[in-house]
Amino acid sequence: MIYIFLAFLVLIMIKKKNQLLSAKRNLILFLILSCIGLSMGFIYELNPNMPTIAQTLINYMK
Amino acid sequence: MNKELSLRQISYIYVFISLSSIVRQIPSALAAEAGRSAYISPLWSIVAIVPLTFIVVGLIKLFPGLNLYEIMLQVFGTLLTKIMILAYLLWFILLLATKINIYTQTLQFTLMPQTRNNFFLITLIFLVAHVLQRGLKTVFRFSEFTLGIILFAFIIIFICSINKIREDYLLPVSTFYLVDTARAAVNVVAVGGNIIIALFFSDKLGISTTKMQRGRLWISVGIFLFLTFFTTLSTIGINGASLTAILPFPFYNTVKGISFFDIFERFEVVVTLISMLSDFIAICILFIIIIRCFEWLFNLKEKGLLYGPLIIIVFYLTYYISSTQFEFEFLYRNVIIYLNIVFQYFIPMLIVLFSLFQINKIKKQY
Repeated sequence: MIYIFLAFLVLIMIKKKNQLLSAKRNLILFLILSCIGLSMGFIYELNPNMPTIAQTLINYMK
Repeated sequence: MNKELSLRQISYIYVFISLSSIVRQIPSALAAEAGRSAYISPLWSIVAIVPLTFIVVGLIKLFPGLNLYEIMLQVFGTLLTKIMILAYLLWFILLLATKINIYTQTLQFTLMPQTRNNFFLITLIFLVAHVLQRGLKTVFRFSEFTLGIILFAFIIIFICSINKIREDYLLPVSTFYLVDTARAAVNVVAVGGNIIIALFFSDKLGISTTKMQRGRLWISVGIFLFLTFFTTLSTIGINGASLTAILPFPFYNTVKGISFFDIFERFEVVVTLISMLSDFIAICILFIIIIRCFEWLFNLKEKGLLYGPLIIIVFYLTYYISSTQFEFEFLYRNVIIYLNIVFQYFIPMLIVLFSLFQINKIKKQY
Protein backbone atom coordinates (compact mmCIF):
# COMPACT_ATOMS: atom_id res chain seq x y z
CA MET A 1 0.00 0.00 0.00
CA ILE A 2 2.83 2.35 0.88
CA TYR A 3 4.23 2.13 -2.65
CA ILE A 4 0.85 2.97 -4.13
CA PHE A 5 0.69 6.04 -1.89
CA LEU A 6 4.24 6.98 -2.86
CA ALA A 7 3.34 6.78 -6.53
CA PHE A 8 0.16 8.76 -5.79
CA LEU A 9 2.20 11.56 -4.21
CA VAL A 10 4.67 11.65 -7.09
CA LEU A 11 1.73 11.86 -9.48
CA ILE A 12 0.27 14.81 -7.55
CA MET A 13 3.68 16.51 -7.56
CA ILE A 14 3.99 16.16 -11.32
CA LYS A 15 0.39 17.14 -12.01
CA LYS A 16 0.34 20.16 -9.70
CA LYS A 17 3.95 21.24 -10.18
CA ASN A 18 3.06 24.84 -10.95
CA GLN A 19 0.82 25.27 -7.91
CA LEU A 20 3.40 23.65 -5.64
CA LEU A 21 6.19 25.88 -6.88
CA SER A 22 4.08 29.06 -6.95
CA ALA A 23 4.53 29.58 -3.21
CA LYS A 24 7.25 28.23 -0.95
CA ARG A 25 4.84 27.41 1.85
CA ASN A 26 2.73 25.21 -0.46
CA LEU A 27 5.76 23.08 -1.29
CA ILE A 28 7.08 22.93 2.29
CA LEU A 29 3.68 22.00 3.74
CA PHE A 30 3.10 19.39 1.04
CA LEU A 31 6.52 17.83 1.67
CA ILE A 32 6.18 17.86 5.46
CA LEU A 33 2.73 16.26 5.39
CA SER A 34 3.87 13.71 2.79
CA CYS A 35 6.89 12.81 4.94
CA ILE A 36 4.68 12.38 8.04
CA GLY A 37 2.22 10.19 6.10
CA LEU A 38 4.90 8.06 4.47
CA SER A 39 6.87 7.56 7.70
CA MET A 40 3.67 6.49 9.45
CA GLY A 41 3.17 4.07 6.57
CA PHE A 42 6.73 2.66 6.71
CA ILE A 43 6.53 2.17 10.49
CA TYR A 44 3.21 0.38 10.10
CA GLU A 45 4.51 -1.82 7.26
CA LEU A 46 7.56 -2.76 9.34
CA ASN A 47 5.52 -3.72 12.37
CA PRO A 48 1.81 -4.12 11.62
CA ASN A 49 1.14 -5.71 15.01
CA MET A 50 2.39 -2.84 17.12
CA PRO A 51 0.06 -1.82 19.97
CA THR A 52 -2.51 0.78 19.02
CA ILE A 53 -3.03 4.07 20.89
CA ALA A 54 -6.18 2.61 22.49
CA GLN A 55 -4.29 -0.53 23.60
CA THR A 56 -1.54 1.58 25.15
CA LEU A 57 -4.13 3.68 26.99
CA ILE A 58 -5.94 0.58 28.23
CA ASN A 59 -2.67 -0.83 29.64
CA TYR A 60 -1.75 2.53 31.14
CA MET A 61 -5.11 3.19 32.76
CA LYS A 62 -5.61 -0.30 34.21
CA MET B 1 -20.56 38.41 -0.43
CA ASN B 2 -21.36 35.15 -2.20
CA LYS B 3 -23.91 33.12 -0.26
CA GLU B 4 -22.78 29.55 -0.84
CA LEU B 5 -24.67 27.82 1.95
CA SER B 6 -27.77 28.38 4.04
CA LEU B 7 -28.33 27.81 7.74
CA ARG B 8 -30.97 25.27 6.78
CA GLN B 9 -28.33 23.18 5.00
CA ILE B 10 -26.01 23.45 7.99
CA SER B 11 -28.85 22.40 10.31
CA TYR B 12 -29.54 19.36 8.15
CA ILE B 13 -25.90 18.39 8.07
CA TYR B 14 -25.71 18.70 11.87
CA VAL B 15 -28.55 16.20 12.31
CA PHE B 16 -27.19 14.01 9.53
CA ILE B 17 -23.67 13.60 10.92
CA SER B 18 -25.03 13.00 14.41
CA LEU B 19 -27.21 10.08 13.26
CA SER B 20 -24.52 7.41 13.35
CA SER B 21 -23.52 8.29 16.92
CA ILE B 22 -27.20 8.40 17.96
CA VAL B 23 -27.86 4.85 16.76
CA ARG B 24 -24.46 3.32 17.53
CA GLN B 25 -22.71 4.85 20.54
CA ILE B 26 -25.26 6.74 22.62
CA PRO B 27 -27.68 3.91 23.60
CA SER B 28 -24.94 1.54 24.78
CA ALA B 29 -22.94 4.26 26.54
CA LEU B 30 -26.03 5.55 28.36
CA ALA B 31 -27.18 2.06 29.31
CA ALA B 32 -23.73 1.22 30.68
CA GLU B 33 -23.62 4.30 32.87
CA ALA B 34 -27.24 4.86 33.89
CA GLY B 35 -28.93 1.46 33.53
CA ARG B 36 -32.68 1.33 32.98
CA SER B 37 -33.11 5.07 33.63
CA ALA B 38 -30.70 5.93 30.80
CA TYR B 39 -33.43 7.31 28.53
CA ILE B 40 -33.68 10.32 30.88
CA SER B 41 -30.10 11.38 30.06
CA PRO B 42 -31.00 13.07 26.73
CA LEU B 43 -33.26 15.38 28.73
CA TRP B 44 -30.34 16.37 30.98
CA SER B 45 -28.23 17.15 27.94
CA ILE B 46 -30.57 20.08 27.16
CA VAL B 47 -28.79 21.93 29.97
CA ALA B 48 -25.58 22.00 27.89
CA ILE B 49 -26.79 21.84 24.29
CA VAL B 50 -29.26 24.73 24.54
CA PRO B 51 -26.69 27.24 25.91
CA LEU B 52 -24.23 26.10 23.21
CA THR B 53 -26.85 26.75 20.53
CA PHE B 54 -27.41 30.19 22.07
CA ILE B 55 -23.65 30.78 21.79
CA VAL B 56 -23.48 29.63 18.16
CA VAL B 57 -26.56 31.64 17.13
CA GLY B 58 -25.29 34.65 19.11
CA LEU B 59 -21.85 34.53 17.46
CA ILE B 60 -23.38 34.27 13.98
CA LYS B 61 -25.53 37.29 14.80
CA LEU B 62 -22.74 39.31 16.45
CA PHE B 63 -20.12 38.59 13.76
CA PRO B 64 -22.11 38.53 10.50
CA GLY B 65 -20.27 36.99 7.56
CA LEU B 66 -17.30 35.78 9.62
CA ASN B 67 -16.19 32.22 10.30
CA LEU B 68 -14.74 30.79 13.51
CA TYR B 69 -11.17 31.74 12.54
CA GLU B 70 -12.08 35.33 11.72
CA ILE B 71 -14.13 35.62 14.92
CA MET B 72 -11.20 34.27 16.94
CA LEU B 73 -8.83 36.74 15.25
CA GLN B 74 -11.05 39.59 16.39
CA VAL B 75 -11.38 38.26 19.91
CA PHE B 76 -8.05 36.62 20.77
CA GLY B 77 -5.51 38.09 18.36
CA THR B 78 -3.33 36.24 15.85
CA LEU B 79 -1.05 34.10 18.02
CA LEU B 80 -3.68 32.60 20.31
CA THR B 81 -6.00 32.05 17.36
CA LYS B 82 -3.35 30.14 15.41
CA ILE B 83 -2.62 27.95 18.45
CA MET B 84 -6.32 27.21 18.89
CA ILE B 85 -6.82 26.46 15.20
CA LEU B 86 -3.85 24.06 15.36
CA ALA B 87 -5.49 22.35 18.33
CA TYR B 88 -8.78 22.17 16.41
CA LEU B 89 -6.91 20.74 13.43
CA LEU B 90 -5.35 17.94 15.49
CA TRP B 91 -8.68 17.19 17.14
CA PHE B 92 -10.43 16.97 13.77
CA ILE B 93 -7.73 14.65 12.39
CA LEU B 94 -8.21 12.38 15.42
CA LEU B 95 -12.01 12.52 14.98
CA LEU B 96 -11.68 11.71 11.29
CA ALA B 97 -9.46 8.70 11.96
CA THR B 98 -11.85 7.37 14.63
CA LYS B 99 -14.84 7.96 12.37
CA ILE B 100 -13.22 5.97 9.55
CA ASN B 101 -12.25 3.29 12.06
CA ILE B 102 -15.79 2.81 13.33
CA TYR B 103 -17.16 3.05 9.77
CA THR B 104 -15.11 0.06 8.66
CA GLN B 105 -15.83 -1.86 11.86
CA THR B 106 -19.58 -1.33 11.50
CA LEU B 107 -19.47 -2.56 7.90
CA GLN B 108 -17.55 -5.64 9.02
CA PHE B 109 -19.87 -6.27 11.94
CA THR B 110 -23.15 -5.87 10.06
CA LEU B 111 -22.77 -6.65 6.38
CA MET B 112 -19.37 -8.03 5.38
CA PRO B 113 -17.63 -9.89 8.23
CA GLN B 114 -15.18 -11.69 5.90
CA THR B 115 -13.88 -8.54 4.18
CA ARG B 116 -10.62 -6.91 5.28
CA ASN B 117 -10.42 -3.34 6.60
CA ASN B 118 -8.15 -2.34 3.72
CA PHE B 119 -10.91 -2.86 1.19
CA PHE B 120 -13.35 -0.57 3.02
CA LEU B 121 -10.71 2.09 3.55
CA ILE B 122 -9.62 2.23 -0.08
CA THR B 123 -13.22 2.23 -1.35
CA LEU B 124 -14.02 5.00 1.11
CA ILE B 125 -11.04 7.09 -0.01
CA PHE B 126 -12.15 6.88 -3.64
CA LEU B 127 -15.75 7.77 -2.76
CA VAL B 128 -14.73 10.72 -0.57
CA ALA B 129 -12.28 11.98 -3.20
CA HIS B 130 -15.02 11.76 -5.84
CA VAL B 131 -17.50 13.68 -3.68
CA LEU B 132 -15.00 16.35 -2.62
CA GLN B 133 -14.08 16.98 -6.25
CA ARG B 134 -17.69 18.11 -6.77
CA GLY B 135 -17.32 20.69 -4.01
CA LEU B 136 -18.80 21.66 -0.69
CA LYS B 137 -22.33 22.14 -1.98
CA THR B 138 -22.69 18.51 -3.10
CA VAL B 139 -22.20 17.24 0.44
CA PHE B 140 -24.69 19.70 1.90
CA ARG B 141 -27.24 19.12 -0.88
CA PHE B 142 -27.02 15.36 -0.40
CA SER B 143 -27.96 15.63 3.26
CA GLU B 144 -30.71 18.11 2.38
CA PHE B 145 -32.32 15.63 0.00
CA THR B 146 -31.97 12.49 2.08
CA LEU B 147 -32.58 13.66 5.65
CA GLY B 148 -36.38 13.85 5.21
CA ILE B 149 -36.57 10.22 4.08
CA ILE B 150 -34.30 9.12 6.92
CA LEU B 151 -36.39 10.94 9.54
CA PHE B 152 -39.51 9.31 8.07
CA ALA B 153 -37.83 5.89 8.40
CA PHE B 154 -36.99 6.68 12.03
CA ILE B 155 -40.60 7.66 12.80
CA ILE B 156 -41.84 4.37 11.30
CA ILE B 157 -39.26 2.44 13.33
CA PHE B 158 -40.30 4.23 16.54
CA ILE B 159 -44.01 3.64 15.88
CA CYS B 160 -43.43 -0.03 15.10
CA SER B 161 -41.30 -0.49 18.20
CA ILE B 162 -44.01 0.75 20.61
CA ASN B 163 -45.72 -2.62 21.05
CA LYS B 164 -42.36 -4.37 21.58
CA ILE B 165 -41.23 -2.11 24.43
CA ARG B 166 -41.29 -3.83 27.82
CA GLU B 167 -42.40 -1.62 30.65
CA ASP B 168 -40.35 -3.53 33.24
CA TYR B 169 -37.17 -2.67 31.28
CA LEU B 170 -37.87 1.05 31.68
CA LEU B 171 -39.71 1.42 34.98
CA PRO B 172 -39.54 2.20 37.84
CA VAL B 173 -37.19 5.17 37.63
CA SER B 174 -35.56 5.73 40.99
CA THR B 175 -34.33 9.15 42.16
CA PHE B 176 -31.27 7.24 43.35
CA TYR B 177 -30.17 6.87 39.70
CA LEU B 178 -30.84 10.46 38.70
CA VAL B 179 -27.23 11.44 39.39
CA ASP B 180 -26.07 8.63 37.11
CA THR B 181 -28.41 9.77 34.34
CA ALA B 182 -27.06 13.32 34.64
CA ARG B 183 -23.47 12.05 34.55
CA ALA B 184 -24.21 9.82 31.54
CA ALA B 185 -25.66 12.81 29.67
CA VAL B 186 -22.08 13.74 28.77
CA ASN B 187 -22.33 11.09 26.02
CA VAL B 188 -25.24 12.97 24.43
CA VAL B 189 -23.67 16.37 25.05
CA ALA B 190 -20.48 15.31 23.22
CA VAL B 191 -22.46 14.47 20.10
CA GLY B 192 -24.90 17.39 20.35
CA GLY B 193 -21.95 19.77 20.39
CA ASN B 194 -21.49 19.09 16.65
CA ILE B 195 -23.63 22.22 16.22
CA ILE B 196 -20.37 24.22 16.28
CA ILE B 197 -19.72 23.17 12.68
CA ALA B 198 -22.06 26.07 11.86
CA LEU B 199 -19.25 28.41 12.93
CA PHE B 200 -16.77 26.78 10.55
CA PHE B 201 -19.04 27.60 7.60
CA SER B 202 -20.62 30.82 8.84
CA ASP B 203 -18.65 32.90 6.32
CA LYS B 204 -20.55 31.09 3.55
CA LEU B 205 -23.92 32.28 4.87
CA GLY B 206 -23.75 35.79 3.50
CA ILE B 207 -23.63 39.02 5.46
CA SER B 208 -27.01 38.85 7.13
CA THR B 209 -29.07 36.00 8.48
CA THR B 210 -32.71 36.37 9.49
CA LYS B 211 -34.26 35.28 12.78
CA MET B 212 -36.14 32.56 10.93
CA GLN B 213 -32.94 31.21 9.38
CA ARG B 214 -31.24 31.11 12.77
CA GLY B 215 -34.36 29.38 14.12
CA ARG B 216 -33.49 26.42 11.87
CA LEU B 217 -30.55 25.64 14.13
CA TRP B 218 -32.96 25.39 17.06
CA ILE B 219 -35.19 23.05 15.09
CA SER B 220 -32.21 20.82 14.29
CA VAL B 221 -31.26 20.71 17.98
CA GLY B 222 -34.86 19.73 18.75
CA ILE B 223 -34.71 16.94 16.15
CA PHE B 224 -31.39 15.75 17.58
CA LEU B 225 -32.82 15.55 21.12
CA PHE B 226 -36.00 13.86 19.89
CA LEU B 227 -34.03 11.20 18.00
CA THR B 228 -31.64 10.61 20.89
CA PHE B 229 -34.47 10.25 23.40
CA PHE B 230 -36.58 7.86 21.33
CA THR B 231 -33.62 5.79 20.11
CA THR B 232 -32.45 5.24 23.69
CA LEU B 233 -35.99 4.61 24.91
CA SER B 234 -36.77 1.99 22.26
CA THR B 235 -33.36 0.32 22.51
CA ILE B 236 -33.47 -0.07 26.28
CA GLY B 237 -37.20 -0.82 26.23
CA ILE B 238 -36.75 -3.72 23.81
CA ASN B 239 -33.29 -5.11 24.66
CA GLY B 240 -33.06 -4.21 28.34
CA ALA B 241 -30.32 -2.03 29.84
CA SER B 242 -27.84 -4.83 30.61
CA LEU B 243 -27.89 -6.21 27.05
CA THR B 244 -27.83 -2.72 25.49
CA ALA B 245 -24.72 -1.88 27.50
CA ILE B 246 -22.68 -4.73 26.05
CA LEU B 247 -23.91 -4.84 22.46
CA PRO B 248 -21.63 -3.14 19.90
CA PHE B 249 -24.58 -1.82 17.84
CA PRO B 250 -27.66 -2.13 20.07
CA PHE B 251 -30.11 -0.20 17.89
CA TYR B 252 -29.35 -2.65 15.06
CA ASN B 253 -30.48 -5.51 17.31
CA THR B 254 -33.54 -3.51 18.40
CA VAL B 255 -34.70 -2.99 14.87
CA LYS B 256 -34.11 -6.67 13.96
CA GLY B 257 -37.26 -7.68 15.80
CA ILE B 258 -39.49 -4.98 14.36
CA SER B 259 -41.87 -5.40 11.44
CA PHE B 260 -44.19 -2.87 9.80
CA PHE B 261 -47.71 -4.41 9.96
CA ASP B 262 -46.06 -7.70 8.84
CA ILE B 263 -45.51 -6.11 5.42
CA PHE B 264 -41.91 -4.88 5.76
CA GLU B 265 -39.28 -6.65 7.82
CA ARG B 266 -35.51 -6.54 8.23
CA PHE B 267 -35.35 -2.82 8.94
CA GLU B 268 -31.88 -3.36 10.37
CA VAL B 269 -30.41 -3.06 6.88
CA VAL B 270 -31.96 0.42 6.72
CA VAL B 271 -30.34 1.30 10.05
CA THR B 272 -26.95 0.12 8.79
CA LEU B 273 -27.44 2.14 5.62
CA ILE B 274 -28.38 5.27 7.59
CA SER B 275 -25.36 4.80 9.82
CA MET B 276 -23.07 4.34 6.81
CA LEU B 277 -24.43 7.41 5.02
CA SER B 278 -24.10 9.49 8.17
CA ASP B 279 -20.50 8.37 8.68
CA PHE B 280 -19.69 9.00 5.04
CA ILE B 281 -21.04 12.55 5.14
CA ALA B 282 -19.30 13.16 8.48
CA ILE B 283 -16.00 12.00 6.93
CA CYS B 284 -16.48 14.34 3.96
CA ILE B 285 -17.32 17.29 6.25
CA LEU B 286 -14.32 16.56 8.49
CA PHE B 287 -12.03 16.49 5.44
CA ILE B 288 -13.40 19.86 4.34
CA ILE B 289 -13.01 21.38 7.83
CA ILE B 290 -9.44 20.03 8.17
CA ILE B 291 -8.47 21.60 4.86
CA ARG B 292 -10.11 24.89 5.99
CA CYS B 293 -8.05 24.73 9.21
CA PHE B 294 -4.88 24.29 7.12
CA GLU B 295 -5.89 27.25 4.96
CA TRP B 296 -6.43 29.44 8.04
CA LEU B 297 -3.31 28.25 9.80
CA PHE B 298 -0.89 28.76 6.92
CA ASN B 299 -2.79 31.40 4.89
CA LEU B 300 -2.94 29.01 1.95
CA LYS B 301 -4.43 29.93 -1.38
CA GLU B 302 -4.22 26.45 -2.95
CA LYS B 303 -6.18 24.00 -0.84
CA GLY B 304 -6.47 21.05 -3.24
CA LEU B 305 -2.79 20.14 -2.82
CA LEU B 306 -3.13 18.85 0.70
CA TYR B 307 -5.81 16.19 0.15
CA GLY B 308 -3.21 13.66 -1.06
CA PRO B 309 -0.82 13.74 1.93
CA LEU B 310 -3.76 14.09 4.32
CA ILE B 311 -5.37 10.91 2.99
CA ILE B 312 -2.14 8.99 3.67
CA ILE B 313 -1.85 10.34 7.23
CA VAL B 314 -5.48 9.54 8.03
CA PHE B 315 -5.26 6.09 6.39
CA TYR B 316 -2.40 4.99 8.63
CA LEU B 317 -3.69 6.86 11.70
CA THR B 318 -6.80 4.68 11.45
CA TYR B 319 -4.60 1.63 12.09
CA TYR B 320 -2.67 3.37 14.87
CA ILE B 321 -5.85 4.39 16.74
CA SER B 322 -7.60 1.11 17.45
CA SER B 323 -7.97 -2.31 15.93
CA THR B 324 -11.10 -3.70 17.61
CA GLN B 325 -14.54 -2.50 18.61
CA PHE B 326 -13.62 -2.90 22.28
CA GLU B 327 -10.57 -0.63 21.89
CA PHE B 328 -12.61 1.91 19.98
CA GLU B 329 -15.29 2.01 22.70
CA PHE B 330 -12.61 2.52 25.33
CA LEU B 331 -10.98 5.35 23.40
CA TYR B 332 -14.32 6.97 22.63
CA ARG B 333 -15.61 6.89 26.21
CA ASN B 334 -12.36 7.89 27.89
CA VAL B 335 -10.73 10.31 25.47
CA ILE B 336 -12.87 11.45 22.53
CA ILE B 337 -15.90 12.47 24.61
CA TYR B 338 -13.84 14.74 26.87
CA LEU B 339 -11.92 16.24 23.95
CA ASN B 340 -15.28 16.93 22.28
CA ILE B 341 -16.47 18.78 25.37
CA VAL B 342 -13.33 20.97 25.38
CA PHE B 343 -13.47 21.87 21.69
CA GLN B 344 -17.24 22.07 21.31
CA TYR B 345 -18.14 23.84 24.55
CA PHE B 346 -15.14 25.26 26.36
CA ILE B 347 -13.53 27.20 23.48
CA PRO B 348 -16.82 28.73 22.16
CA MET B 349 -17.57 29.76 25.76
CA LEU B 350 -14.15 31.43 25.94
CA ILE B 351 -14.88 33.28 22.70
CA VAL B 352 -18.17 34.57 24.10
CA LEU B 353 -16.52 35.62 27.38
CA PHE B 354 -13.73 37.49 25.60
CA SER B 355 -16.12 39.10 23.12
CA LEU B 356 -18.25 40.36 26.02
CA PHE B 357 -15.24 42.39 27.18
CA GLN B 358 -14.98 43.97 23.73
CA ILE B 359 -18.67 44.17 22.92
CA ASN B 360 -18.71 47.94 22.26
CA LYS B 361 -15.73 47.74 19.91
CA ILE B 362 -17.27 44.81 18.02
CA LYS B 363 -20.69 46.46 17.68
CA LYS B 364 -19.09 49.58 16.21
CA GLN B 365 -17.59 47.51 13.38
CA TYR B 366 -20.89 45.98 12.22
